[in-house]
Amino acid sequence: MSTRKYLTAAVVIAVLGVAHVFAWETTEVSPGALVDGWRGMARFLAEALPPDLDWDAVVRPGLEACLTTLAIGLLGTTLSVPAALLFAVLGTRGRHQVVYQVSRSVMSFLRAVPDVVFALIFVTAVGLGPFAGVLALICHNVGVLGKLWSEAMDEVDPGPTDALRVSGAREPQVIANAVLPAVVPALIGLLLYRFDVNVRSSLVLGLVGAGGVGFLINQSIQLFEFDQMATYILMVLVLVVAVDLLSAGIRRRLT
Amino acid sequence: MENGLSVKGLRKSFGDRAVLNGVDFSVGAGELVVLLGANGSGKSTALRCVVGLAEADEGVVSVAGRELRGLTGAELARARRAAAMVFQQIHLVRRRNVIDNVCAGGLAGLPLSRSLTPALFPKDLRERAMACLDRVGLADRAKDRAGSLSGGQQQRVAIARALCQGAKVLLADEPVSALDPAAATQVMELLRELARNDGLAVAAVLHQPDLARRHADRVLGLLHGEIRFSTRGSDLSDVDIDALYAPDRAVAV
Ligand SMILES: Nc1ncnc2c1ncn2[C@@H]1O[C@H](COP(=O)(O)OP(=O)(O)O)[C@@H](O)[C@H]1O
Ligand SMILES: [Mg+2]
Repeated sequence: MSTRKYLTAAVVIAVLGVAHVFAWETTEVSPGALVDGWRGMARFLAEALPPDLDWDAVVRPGLEACLTTLAIGLLGTTLSVPAALLFAVLGTRGRHQVVYQVSRSVMSFLRAVPDVVFALIFVTAVGLGPFAGVLALICHNVGVLGKLWSEAMDEVDPGPTDALRVSGAREPQVIANAVLPAVVPALIGLLLYRFDVNVRSSLVLGLVGAGGVGFLINQSIQLFEFDQMATYILMVLVLVVAVDLLSAGIRRRLT
Repeated sequence: MENGLSVKGLRKSFGDRAVLNGVDFSVGAGELVVLLGANGSGKSTALRCVVGLAEADEGVVSVAGRELRGLTGAELARARRAAAMVFQQIHLVRRRNVIDNVCAGGLAGLPLSRSLTPALFPKDLRERAMACLDRVGLADRAKDRAGSLSGGQQQRVAIARALCQGAKVLLADEPVSALDPAAATQVMELLRELARNDGLAVAAVLHQPDLARRHADRVLGLLHGEIRFSTRGSDLSDVDIDALYAPDRAVAV
């Protein structure tokens, strides 16, 4: 018994070791290149500091772009709610097997395709700009939020539901007075969490042309305006921290 | 069994596993009957069949003088409403306050427009719920969150919810198994009062023979899906108890 355990452990360690060697080779990890490159990094930093705080050329457009980023994240989250809810409900355990499998598969597919890929697709469809970002977030978020909601619904304790059924309450009454009170706080918490993630995703989407402050960062790098980039990154930092604090604060009050 | 519960020939299988093999018992109005039996002997299944949480394969159930067989739809629901159930896990909505939980027992008679959220519950339902809460001695906790009460208090709130349902028959599935001895005694005394003073027919599943001796008018022993004995609570003997729990030991060896 214990020899077999050791044998298993040895095999696992060996496999992990081989995997890491292989990964090291494939990703061309080269500490030497990093060391050699320090000069470039230093120059980059020197140019980035101090950040360019010119109001008309940098700060105001930056703030406007931050608002766009926030707006992309907001709409990408809100507009995905109806479809996410539908797939979540259809994907809870106890549904008809076919319905369950189909909705789980749709959600898995939407989750598996990264939002950046959706963004690239929509940029070719509707052109560069925030709208492509919104569409991309909706697609990916339906998959993720649907799955999270589905699991939250599966976890609802059926006890209070039973208690109300026994009292003769009709189905809508049972849902309104036993299921929803148990599940809504969890659903809202997950929604806020996704809003938080989506605002951060919308930054990345900006890098591939979907507008917002990510787009400005990309532009400033391509123009070698590293001090402008530094300003934008500071703004992003503030934005991300603010959204995170907001959503965490609300979630805390929900429980 | 004018206002009580009567069960005859109740049978239930899950797949090819027979759980109830013809269970007969009755509980009169004003009577507290305790069901004893080893785990898996079918106690919960029997109670769930009575209230419709499980569907019996065979058997005749009458609740408060009405035979359920042959009834359908709204009529069946109305007849069933005379039986309420409380559970070991209590099953309150913990985030809602106590009075809203009690009100939830009385939703059946309401139109949807008055029942989808507590703010819409009508005044007479609230008054009735308050009276039920007072009956279990917790009127002063009406506005507290249900989850903030102790286990024993929560179980009494669940009983108040059952009263608000207007039940004549009260089934309790291990109502005190999760409670400390003091709270357990308090809940059992409440159940007995509800039988004696309010004329309810009360059937409670217990695992403590002592509580059964102290509180039960009658004790039923359930073994392998059949009623093995029926005796007055004060007459319950250790031989009776062994007959219920010993066979398992014999099988286990
Ligand atoms: N929904 C169900 N599906 C399958 N088997 C069940 C179900 N409910 C109960 N059983 C089985 O029926 C038997 C009796 O269960 P139960 O009535 O809960 O016993 P008790 O309450 O006396 O402990 C057990 O063997 C249990 O596994
Ligand atoms: Mg049980």
